[in-house]
Amino acid sequence: MRNMWLIIRREYLERVRTRSFLILTLLLPGIMTVVMILPAKLATMGDKAQHIVVVTSSPQLGETVRQRFLAALTTAEEDDDEDKPDANANTDAAKKKPEQDYVIDVDSNATEAERAALRDKVTSQAIDGFLWLSDDAIASGKVTWTSRSMAGFGQRTLLSQALNHVIEYERLAKNGVNATEADLVLTPVKVEAVRLERGRESKGSGGGKLLEVVIMVMLLYMAVLLYGISVMRSVLEEKNSRILEVLLSSASSTELMVGKLLGVGAVGLTQILVWVVMAGAFALPAMAMQPSFSELQISPGVLVAFAAFFLLGYLLYSTMYAAIGAITTTEQEGQQLQFIVVIPLVLSVFMLNPVVRTPDAPAMVWLSMVPFFAPILMYARIVVQTPPVWQIALSLVVLIGTIAGIMVLCARIYRIGVLIYGKRPNLPEILKWIKYAKA
Amino acid sequence: MATLQTPIARSSNPAPNSGAAGTVVLSNVRKCYGDFVAVDNLSLSIQPGSIYGLLGPNGAGKTSTLRMIIGIILPDSGQVTVFGEPLRREHKEQFGYLPEERGLYKKMKVLEHLVLLAQLKGLSSAEAHKRAQSWCERFELSAWTGKKVEELSKGMQQKVQFIGSILHDPKLIIMDEPFSGLDPASAVSLKDAMLELAKSGKTVLFSTHRMDQAEKLCSSICLINHGRAVLEGDLSQIKAGYGYNNVQIKYEGDASFLKETRLVQSFNDYGNYVEARLAPGADTQELLRLASAGARVSKFEVMEPSLEEIFIAAVSKPA
Repeated sequence: MRNMWLIIRREYLERVRTRSFLILTLLLPGIMTVVMILPAKLATMGDKAQHIVVVTSSPQLGETVRQRFLAALTTAEEDDDEDKPDANANTDAAKKKPEQDYVIDVDSNATEAERAALRDKVTSQAIDGFLWLSDDAIASGKVTWTSRSMAGFGQRTLLSQALNHVIEYERLAKNGVNATEADLVLTPVKVEAVRLERGRESKGSGGGKLLEVVIMVMLLYMAVLLYGISVMRSVLEEKNSRILEVLLSSASSTELMVGKLLGVGAVGLTQILVWVVMAGAFALPAMAMQPSFSELQISPGVLVAFAAFFLLGYLLYSTMYAAIGAITTTEQEGQQLQFIVVIPLVLSVFMLNPVVRTPDAPAMVWLSMVPFFAPILMYARIVVQTPPVWQIALSLVVLIGTIAGIMVLCARIYRIGVLIYGKRPNLPEILKWIKYAKA
Repeated sequence: MATLQTPIARSSNPAPNSGAAGTVVLSNVRKCYGDFVAVDNLSLSIQPGSIYGLLGPNGAGKTSTLRMIIGIILPDSGQVTVFGEPLRREHKEQFGYLPEERGLYKKMKVLEHLVLLAQLKGLSSAEAHKRAQSWCERFELSAWTGKKVEELSKGMQQKVQFIGSILHDPKLIIMDEPFSGLDPASAVSLKDAMLELAKSGKTVLFSTHRMDQAEKLCSSICLINHGRAVLEGDLSQIKAGYGYNNVQIKYEGDASFLKETRLVQSFNDYGNYVEARLAPGADTQELLRLASAGARVSKFEVMEPSLEEIFIAAVSKPA
């Protein structure tokens, strides 16, 4: 055991002390934050306010529409914040500004000449667009929105909803229903999602849950690609120089292999921890900027599951990479065999959608037991809905067993592969090596 | 190819010296890689405190044999005995191993690397540091202890490798082709180090195909070809068994005595001197009289056969 510990320490220190580790660890979160927030900021900053003209036959209608538009744009922001755990119920709508400033003018000159003039204004960028809301247009149901670019989908929906609201009220008013009665009639029914978790109710929107799964998948992917390959390279280097022989004269190949995997794993763990701490430090201002992040409600159970499946998933894929390094002789060959690791990972991601939608289906249950998919699929199931404990336990046991099994095989191949230089073994030979009880 | 006067008298596979506590004893060891037989029914015995040479052409099975002694690979059949016991994991701490090419982590710092190697052999960190420093001083590497291995020249790396193999004070030091690639000065240093180790009671086992080195250093040898032991045992005894067949002659003048096939079977002219192989049954004194009759003889030396000749003769014999 002491030997294994020495190897773990060596592998860990060798990687952690490099400049690239420091750069990656400290810089990456910075880069990622910038990448995620900057585009949004850029989109809103520097944009002058959108200048819109609403053309109606009567000024009152125009004013109503204008008010309604502004209200609709602000409310849309509020809807996103609904699930914030500490959302202040008394948040003043005025405190929340719409993402983009809108200046809305009312024009009651609904003539063709005016339409042509407005068109010119749009073209000359004096205004950004106008809404043709004359009574004729309303009556014939053909209201047009003219602008230089196709309005963003969300924007158009909002506008159309707001508009419809106003028109409905107008029509009702014309038929004798006043605004108060119309309010009663038209109050929408909102459906609130409450999840039953072990008899306790918890609220949470689907968006936040998906984010938790996505973060896990992204992190796992990155960790595996960065460090898994590093394990493969390290195995190849040791084989191709004689360092492995020297080590084998002191330690067993199992100690060497496991030590290396755990050492590299510790590096990944360190990096993740640093990032989590950094994220925690920067999260609060970040959440203020991007409201959707505050949707994350992370229960401790999910956190534990995340840690467990992340580590095990990382170990599994890295061990497979090590096995590839043990079989091949050059890095090129190793890269050709990479698909063995990448395909299960990619398949897991593909299967995420069905699993998340029907986590209880028998097919999904068994899929999440398969050790190559478990890290992502079982975790996804835990996030979305808590599977029975025996299922989680079973998948963990199978996963750990598989990892151990591959490690043992790997150690054997590693050791024997070393001693036969140059020749790349074919499959029957590899099987024979594995059968050698002890080298 | 000239044959030596006395045929090889000893058997190819002497019984291992199981009476004395030989440091290393191989008994009928066999190792195959698939269909290829690397080591075939090999037996040898290495006494403690000696330098033992494992000789043979490339591909003879030397490296496989060494690895089996170290315990990196296990024989398919036969027995490896070290320090009187069958080879066990724990014995590894008593071994020092110097592989044929350098086996060092390129990116590791020299001192750290040495300490790691020593710790893997069971030394404490403090002790390992102390010893590593003093060895580095001795080999004039003190200025380099903090540098990465890849920053050192090849010769310095070889020194580091050597230090790494003896740092933990092993009883048995095994070296695979240690002289290959060494310049003469380094070769001498290594030779001195090996002699010193042997004198202090350690056992040194090395493989080589440089017969001249083996001749100077080894007290016992094993000559391997095609995985089998062709010769094994005490070097001087082996040479004695081959008899004195060669004469080194330095002369000026009439060289006709060399053509006397009754006395001289063949000869090699090395420019400065001639090495003559005696014909079977020839008398050295008669050759001397003949030579001095027609030329001025400045040197006439009856030589024991060189290991190189023995090697070539033994290797070319039909198996």
